[in-house]
Amino acid sequence: MKTVQAKPALRDEGAKLGFRLTLPAQILVLFIAVFPLLMQLYISLTDWSPLSGLGWWSAWSLWNNFANYTDLAVDARFWSALKRTAIVMIVCVPAEFLLGLALATLFADEFPGKRIFYSILLMPMMVVPAVAGYMFFMLFQSGGPVNDILSSISGFPVTIAWLSDPTLALIAVMVADIWQWTPLMFLILLAGLVGVPEDQIKAATLLGANPWQRFVTIVLPKMKTIIIIALAIRMIENFKIFDTLYIMTGGGPGVATETISVYIYKLTTQDLIWGYVAAIALAILIVLSIAAVFTMKRMARAREVTA
Amino acid sequence: MSAIHLQNLVKKFGDFTALKTMDLAIADGEFMALLGPSGCGKSTTMNMIAGMEEPTGGKILFGERDMAGVPMGRRGVGFVFQNYAIFTHMTVRQNLAYGPKMRGAPKAEIDRRVGAIAEMLQLTPLLDRKADRLSVNILQRVAIGRSAIMEPAIFLLDEPLSNVDAAFRAVMRTELKQLQRQFKQTMVYVTHDQLEAMSMADRIAVMDHGVLQQVGTPLEVYNNPANVFVARFIGAPGMNLLRGRPAESDRGLVIDLGPLGATPPLPAEIAAAVRGARGDVLYGFRPEQATLVEGGQGLSLPVTFVERIGARTIVHLGQGESAVKAVFDNDVGLAIGQTAVVAPAVQSVRVFDAATGLAMIAG
Repeated sequence: MKTVQAKPALRDEGAKLGFRLTLPAQILVLFIAVFPLLMQLYISLTDWSPLSGLGWWSAWSLWNNFANYTDLAVDARFWSALKRTAIVMIVCVPAEFLLGLALATLFADEFPGKRIFYSILLMPMMVVPAVAGYMFFMLFQSGGPVNDILSSISGFPVTIAWLSDPTLALIAVMVADIWQWTPLMFLILLAGLVGVPEDQIKAATLLGANPWQRFVTIVLPKMKTIIIIALAIRMIENFKIFDTLYIMTGGGPGVATETISVYIYKLTTQDLIWGYVAAIALAILIVLSIAAVFTMKRMARAREVTA
Repeated sequence: MSAIHLQNLVKKFGDFTALKTMDLAIADGEFMALLGPSGCGKSTTMNMIAGMEEPTGGKILFGERDMAGVPMGRRGVGFVFQNYAIFTHMTVRQNLAYGPKMRGAPKAEIDRRVGAIAEMLQLTPLLDRKADRLSVNILQRVAIGRSAIMEPAIFLLDEPLSNVDAAFRAVMRTELKQLQRQFKQTMVYVTHDQLEAMSMADRIAVMDHGVLQQVGTPLEVYNNPANVFVARFIGAPGMNLLRGRPAESDRGLVIDLGPLGATPPLPAEIAAAVRGARGDVLYGFRPEQATLVEGGQGLSLPVTFVERIGARTIVHLGQGESAVKAVFDNDVGLAIGQTAVVAPAVQSVRVFDAATGLAMIAG
């Protein structure tokens, strides 16, 4: 009886010691993870700006309750930026996925020069996004190579002002994103593709499945988890699209290519209304977190199915 | 119609010859085992029959039909892989239905065929289980069922029991043999385990280094090995082979075993073949066919090791060139260091040409 009583006491002692010993680490984690979030929440409830002359800690004197959030709900520029970000994602991610999958399927078989093509194919991913932005900026000039090629194909002099036309500018930006990030999709999907058991594919062939049937019934289901991971990575990254785009168009013409990141950047550096910026960032964080939870749940289900 | 003929079949991988001119005729409905150590070319042969690999030379005929250029999906062969290659992301039912579904059979027909095959293989209660958490014997039945539902005329099995533990293997051997009786198809069974080949096959094709060594019923291969390789490979332990020289004596033709100082006699039909041969021969007898004798005609050798395997005892005698194994009952009273005199049963003795390794048989 005594020993039974002694044990929880001992465990309590151990837990207390452990708590004290890890306290510095806990404070550090708290500081890194929780503090910026709380600070952001605090500022997002005020009209604080670096121009106000107040330290951020005394932002309470500019308290505005939920005015930033109510403003956000009716901010047409915010909603159009969000819509534009969504359009870019809806076009770019599936395009990158399909191109990546097609290339991965091609590279799953042997062919002469495969290693060289493989290296070439991965290069865009390694280009610094800012450099890629300049590259496409040059390519899409009215006197640039894209128009030159179009001219030589059509036989007429083509002088499309790609980056000055609202629709064409958005297309140009999406082309740049697809160019740069299809290789990542390709790389992840290829890893998934070579992991599909060879003998199961052979078994399917022996049972009379044609290549397309094999792909749909064996290869795709086996790749399900990795496909979801690849899509999730690219969706998160694509939502934050900024560097290449900003260098190509600066969000323009007007606000024609202004995505969420560009809008936030402009508010931060030009308008300097940091309370409002904090509110937007927090709202997006919440939306993305909910989206991530949904994706994780789907992934867990997929793993149950494929495991 | 589902007989298989391999004619001058050759397979090379670059400079490496995996199979050197193989000729083999497998009858309709026959259970043929391809037996040999790893790297002997048996799996390559099987893969070529299935169409997974192209022969470098020679022909494969199914009945009268040349299979060259026929893709593996259209050969009408069922293939059971070494690890079964079950589609783990599907249920047992989906696995079984896979073949007919890919061929576009109507749903009602698929259901009927899946039901029938599941009943036959006792898989009915497991039909809706995911295939990734099934035990090996069930996986094996699913693999067989998945191929059998296509009603292939030819069934190929690639070492299906090599992943199974020893105790279970015995159960599976019986099960497989019964399945073959049910399906009545031509079966080709690749294995390196002679016990599997012996217990299941109608005939065994023994292979080594890409060369077909001998084809025959299990008993033929065991009793009358065509050459030294088969003699040593078949049987556990394999046949004892001692170097000697034929010599005439008042007891007829005998083999002078030289340093062993024994001159054992030969069966009449073998003596006829050996008489007149030049050069050394190998005197062979099965360890199971040796008896202990008190003095007299026999091989007198020191006991070097006693290996007890339960029902029987394997006694190792002599060393080097004159090493011999003999199998006795488990109550044999021999200990290491003793000298034992063993006499092979005369009718079981076989003789091989020492230079060519071929069996010496009259006719």
